[in-house]
Amino acid sequence: MAATPLEVRNIKKRFGDTEVLKGLSLEAQKGDVITLIGASGSGKSTFLRCMNLLEQPDEGEIILHGDPIRFKQTRHGREPADWKQVVQMRAKLSMVFQNFNLWAHMTLLENIIEAPIHVLGISKKDAIEQANALLERVGLTARANAYPAQMSGGQQQRGAIARALAMNPEVMLFDEPTSALDPELVGDVLKVMRDLANEGRTMVVVTHEMSFARDVSSQVIYLHQGLVEEAGTPDEVLGNPQSSRLKQFLTPHY
Amino acid sequence: MLDLQGYGPRLIEGAGVTVQLAVLSLLLAVALGLLTATAKMSRNWFLHRTATLYTTLIRGVPDLVLMMLLFYGGQIGVNAISDILYYDFEIDLYINFNAFAAGVLTIGFIFGAYMGETFRGAFMAVDNGQIEAGKAYGMSSGLVFRRIRFPQMMRHALPGLSNNWMVLLKTTALVSVIGLTDMVRVAAEASRATHEPFVFLIPVAVAYLLIASVSEWIFARLQKRYDIGFGEH
Repeated sequence: MAATPLEVRNIKKRFGDTEVLKGLSLEAQKGDVITLIGASGSGKSTFLRCMNLLEQPDEGEIILHGDPIRFKQTRHGREPADWKQVVQMRAKLSMVFQNFNLWAHMTLLENIIEAPIHVLGISKKDAIEQANALLERVGLTARANAYPAQMSGGQQQRGAIARALAMNPEVMLFDEPTSALDPELVGDVLKVMRDLANEGRTMVVVTHEMSFARDVSSQVIYLHQGLVEEAGTPDEVLGNPQSSRLKQFLTPHY
Repeated sequence: MLDLQGYGPRLIEGAGVTVQLAVLSLLLAVALGLLTATAKMSRNWFLHRTATLYTTLIRGVPDLVLMMLLFYGGQIGVNAISDILYYDFEIDLYINFNAFAAGVLTIGFIFGAYMGETFRGAFMAVDNGQIEAGKAYGMSSGLVFRRIRFPQMMRHALPGLSNNWMVLLKTTALVSVIGLTDMVRVAAEASRATHEPFVFLIPVAVAYLLIASVSEWIFARLQKRYDIGFGEH
């Protein structure tokens, strides 16, 4: 049996005196779509950002394909012992951000080929060929030479998903990918994400889109104040919530 | 007409010295400025303190004093080294600490401190999300710097950079005190000899203006290049 693509165990994180993550774990098997839901401040985005070490967890383990990230203690707290290992690990987990974060000084096409060329070492010709296929897939062929500032939010986010796919990632991390979008633009982005889920991509998604969570997740995790309050299949967590907090959280969405 | 009572060719030579001095000092200042900005933003206590000491010292002491300190101090230092080489290793090497090198080093050193602050502000203006995206896609910090932070920072740095350059250009006139024959020194000599200061000083003023106009044009082009994608112009 192949090792688990991404496993995180007992992640703890504090900002100053506030403990925002109080020991969170997650295991993404190949093809899993795990959605993290919860009110703002529940720690779901921080948890996701700990997975690729954009935030440094104070405690806990991150294991990719059975290979744990090594940490060391410094005066500034716990840090990765080997940044090269982190860089290699990040190349296998691509992230899609709430604010898209496409590089503003590059065209959409340049955004997509940037990391494949400079990080993965793919030839420019191959990278462009792949990028064109991805652009077609997200419906942005016509915008290849546009700069992010010239694109709508929905186009930028679909472009950002194409950029993430160009890394041929083992796990994709989505940090509230539709939260910064105008309502009429959300559908296009969600459609791309549904397609990815259906083709068996391994995804961890922080989202407020309950219908997306219900339809495509293999597992839903409801976080409250840095702890897992409920976790399970969408039917269990969304269809039959146990805690009053989760019931209340779900009410406005129905 | 450009003969200027026989001083024309020397004035042109002097202008050449001014331009070379200014351009080389600028390169040094930009390199030092980038290092200083990086050091000031670093969490490393020693780097941070060193950079702060450097900017405080340089910005608090007059340029002219620094220039003379470095020129005379530099010659003493070079002499000490050649003494060691001669007495301890029997290598006979006389190095003349040349005024041009002293000029470039001093001016580069002074403006490195100002550039440092310009770059620091510019780096802080870059959207952190852009940098995070680089990290999240497996870029090393060197790659993030080269491909994302630097090109995005330049757009914010250029107005300050071009300002520093204009001041730097005019500061080169100070090198005549350490014996470098730039165009100001030639003009001053000629004025004394002929008692006709305007004949020489006005062409010098025009030459500075000309250099400044060319630089403005270059900076405008650079600004346009680094503004690409940001929806201005």
